[in-house]
Amino acid sequence: MSGISLSGITKRYPGGVLAVKGVDIDIESGEFVTLVGPSGCGKTTTLRTIAGFERPTDGTISIDSVDVTDAPPYERNTGMVFQDFALFPHMTIHENVAYGMEVDGEYTDEEIDARVAEMLELVELPGVADRTPDQLSGGQQQRIALARALAPSPDALLLDEPLASLDKKLREQMQVELRRIQQEVGITTVFVTHNQEEALTMSDRLAVMNDGKFEQVGPPEAVYDEPETRFVADFLGTANLFDGSISTVSDGYATVDCGDVSIRARNGTAGAGESVSVVVRPERFALESEGEEAGENAFDGTVKFKRHLGSSVEYHVDTGNGRTLIVVRRSGTGALSTGERVSVSVGAKDCRIVEA
Amino acid sequence: MATNSSTDGDESGRAGVRANAKWYAVSYPMFWLVAVFLVPLAMLVVFSFYVNIPGGSYRPGFTLENYARFLSVSFSAGWPPIEGNLYLSQTWLTIELALVTAFASLALGYPIAYYLARMNRPWLRSLLLITIISSLWVTYVIRAYAWQVILASGGILSSTGVRLGLLAEPQSFYPGYWGLVIGMVYVFLPFMILTLYSSIRNIDGELLEASKNLGAGPVKTFRRVTLPLSKNGIVSGLALVFILALGAYVMPRLLGSSAERTLPVLIEAQIMSEQNYPFGAAMSIGLVLVVLAFLWVMVRFTNMTTASLGGSEVAEPDGGRPDSAAYKSASGVGSSFRNGVGSLASAIGVTRVAASAGNGIESVILRIDARTRERILWVGSRVYVAAAMTFIAAPLLIIIAVSFTPEQFLTFPPGGFSTQWYVEFFTDSSWVIALINSLGIAGAAALLSTTIGGTLAFALDRYGYRWGTIFGTFGILPILVPPVIVGVAFLVFFLELGVAGSRTSIIVAHGIFYAPFPFILISQGLDELDRTYEEAAMNLGASPLGTIRTITLPLLQANVVSGALFAFILSLNEYIIAWLLSLFLVDTIPIQIFNSLRYGYSPTIAAASVVFIALTVVVMVAIDRLSGGIWE
Repeated sequence: MSGISLSGITKRYPGGVLAVKGVDIDIESGEFVTLVGPSGCGKTTTLRTIAGFERPTDGTISIDSVDVTDAPPYERNTGMVFQDFALFPHMTIHENVAYGMEVDGEYTDEEIDARVAEMLELVELPGVADRTPDQLSGGQQQRIALARALAPSPDALLLDEPLASLDKKLREQMQVELRRIQQEVGITTVFVTHNQEEALTMSDRLAVMNDGKFEQVGPPEAVYDEPETRFVADFLGTANLFDGSISTVSDGYATVDCGDVSIRARNGTAGAGESVSVVVRPERFALESEGEEAGENAFDGTVKFKRHLGSSVEYHVDTGNGRTLIVVRRSGTGALSTGERVSVSVGAKDCRIVEA
Repeated sequence: MATNSSTDGDESGRAGVRANAKWYAVSYPMFWLVAVFLVPLAMLVVFSFYVNIPGGSYRPGFTLENYARFLSVSFSAGWPPIEGNLYLSQTWLTIELALVTAFASLALGYPIAYYLARMNRPWLRSLLLITIISSLWVTYVIRAYAWQVILASGGILSSTGVRLGLLAEPQSFYPGYWGLVIGMVYVFLPFMILTLYSSIRNIDGELLEASKNLGAGPVKTFRRVTLPLSKNGIVSGLALVFILALGAYVMPRLLGSSAERTLPVLIEAQIMSEQNYPFGAAMSIGLVLVVLAFLWVMVRFTNMTTASLGGSEVAEPDGGRPDSAAYKSASGVGSSFRNGVGSLASAIGVTRVAASAGNGIESVILRIDARTRERILWVGSRVYVAAAMTFIAAPLLIIIAVSFTPEQFLTFPPGGFSTQWYVEFFTDSSWVIALINSLGIAGAAALLSTTIGGTLAFALDRYGYRWGTIFGTFGILPILVPPVIVGVAFLVFFLELGVAGSRTSIIVAHGIFYAPFPFILISQGLDELDRTYEEAAMNLGASPLGTIRTITLPLLQANVVSGALFAFILSLNEYIIAWLLSLFLVDTIPIQIFNSLRYGYSPTIAAASVVFIALTVVVMVAIDRLSGGIWE
């Protein structure tokens, strides 16, 4: 098994569109890394440069410490699962899974048959070898695509939004399944998605991409809890954002003047006068009616809108000046109703200052 | 993302070979389409200035005499001044006939196309489409012959008329103007129906439901939604039929009298009978100019392209409304432009007439309740479609019936059953040789067409060329040139090379003339081919050539084979090019039938026709099966 290393990857398309603007990452052997970002952020282009379908304008790619920047796709040992699976419609499932080994030419028929059986076993679809792709359901096609990509024992597994075309229930099932198989095989994996929930639940590390660059790279909980930029905070999960400038700094904390309110929050390196944003996750707020101790930053408002999310309830609290706070509480903890006056508060340790 | 890089021929991920391979790839089709197709056409221009020596030879030189003879106008002989010039008045007749054919086909064809597109019984639709399409490819010679049998004095129409007491005595409806118009509409109607059909089919059914939901009745929905959205189909259909009718040789020759000798008939006579090559060439240039003028007007005043004429028509829901100011500026240019513009203006006119007629009909039927109204419209259209389908299918069915006659002459109804004429056909060496020649030429021409069209389609799909659009136009161009001109041009070319009058010459001419069909079909296949399949193969380690062999070609198989079968069936049924290039030395079935028609209507001709029709239908059904309903 082997790692992947991207250094300074830049891709400019003919016509001048700069899709990727200098991306660096070292992916360790066996690691599951997710590239997540809105559509058009360059994540798919980055993945396609790893596979060799796009040649980077600048930068180098190495797989298993070998520079493959100029190698064509068929000379790199990567296995890719495509968004619509791309199972060859004129071949059976067996022929599809065997394809990579057959074109390689170094396997005997017996080896190929054994490996195909092993792969179908791995994806828990042992009985479908003689069917054609159109006889399988979406979830089954997904598993076969994975089996086909893994069959020639690639150095890396590349997943290009493979769950996007599945319905919600199946998607959640496949998230678990995909992760199980990846860990069982122990293969270095790069996963591309625009779905932040998938990124958070599946990866060892995730790289949030925006406008051709990595905004932040790190383990899911770190990126969620400690976002470094306003974009990351806003893109992953739900965030209440307060834009303003720092008025005073003290001892790891700072006070941010947002015009109508001022908020005390945890601070990193920002200095006085700097324009910043304060991020508060909706579940960090306390509601006064629950009898909890009021935090340092308190807001009075009216419940304007309420929706039940199953395990939790989301309230939109209007605090005047056109500001609406999103507050999430566990279900069954003192329900509020629309129109009710409420006092919302949050401690300074649950507020974080990020780059605006 | 894949599409972003598709113009970049050097992209490492493309299933192409190497960057310089792109020039090798395109040089093969260009050799045929430029060196072997445009050169003969250019030679035709040169020949049109040569000096004719009476007695069948010519010498290089420069004279305007041929054009003077073609274009001379005499103002003394009365008005219009073209009256005194046989060639100009027949040119006008050719254009008039083409216009009449185009508009008659539109009027007859639109309801059928509409019904076909909207009916919801798939099996019946495929049956009707197969019928229409099969009749489309049966050689004009057999179809003209069918109408001779129907229209002749003592033919089916006249004897039925007498029996019913409608006619006092047997009467012949051919040769003559109206017999010819019937024959022309009969052969070109399928082109109109298919063009309109694909255009109406492309209209999203939800748009019609939306219109009905907003309160518009069937007539209003048709007038306000369907008709405007099928306007491009109407214009393409008119253009296609007009161009095909301009170049028609067999129908005017076999169904027209001497007064209906159209330009292609006159050209053939100059070449084959008078052997006045320079004058034949000059008239050919005249015909080409009429076609070019028409195309120019089409492209200039509508959003049509030559490619959409060639068959890759896609209905575009908006645009294409020619502005009326443009008509005025063009009105003084010349008569041929005026005709072209006129045909477009009338296309718009037809829309208006149809609209006002629709208004009238709607106000009448509004008094009836909605359910009855829909029923009446539906039943009425069914009766109409049944009648039109009879018009399309009956002539060939009659040929099939009379081929089994036990008598020595053509009789209908046959009055018995005998296969003697089939025995005659398969034992007469001249028919058998003609059949073998036809099959051999068609097979070889199909291979040539497919290699030309296929490599061109592949090269254009894989590599970016600065002149890509022009290369693509070359791929369509041959089919836009009237076949009689292709024939004359190749004759001149092969005479110079000394290989005229051979099977090879016919194979080369057919191979190039029909290359657009495989080109269009394979291009469509490549367009629809999901690029990810190739990427998946390369990701799994397949080399570019391996990818083409194991993935691309198998996925394109249906397109390649149907392209080849199309070229085969067209070559098999082609008459005028084969006839001009045969120099009386090569016989094919269409040539043999045509020649036999001079000596009367032996039932062997009917038997030969049936064998040929059967062959055609079998191949057409095979294409349909292969492509999984290509007609949709």
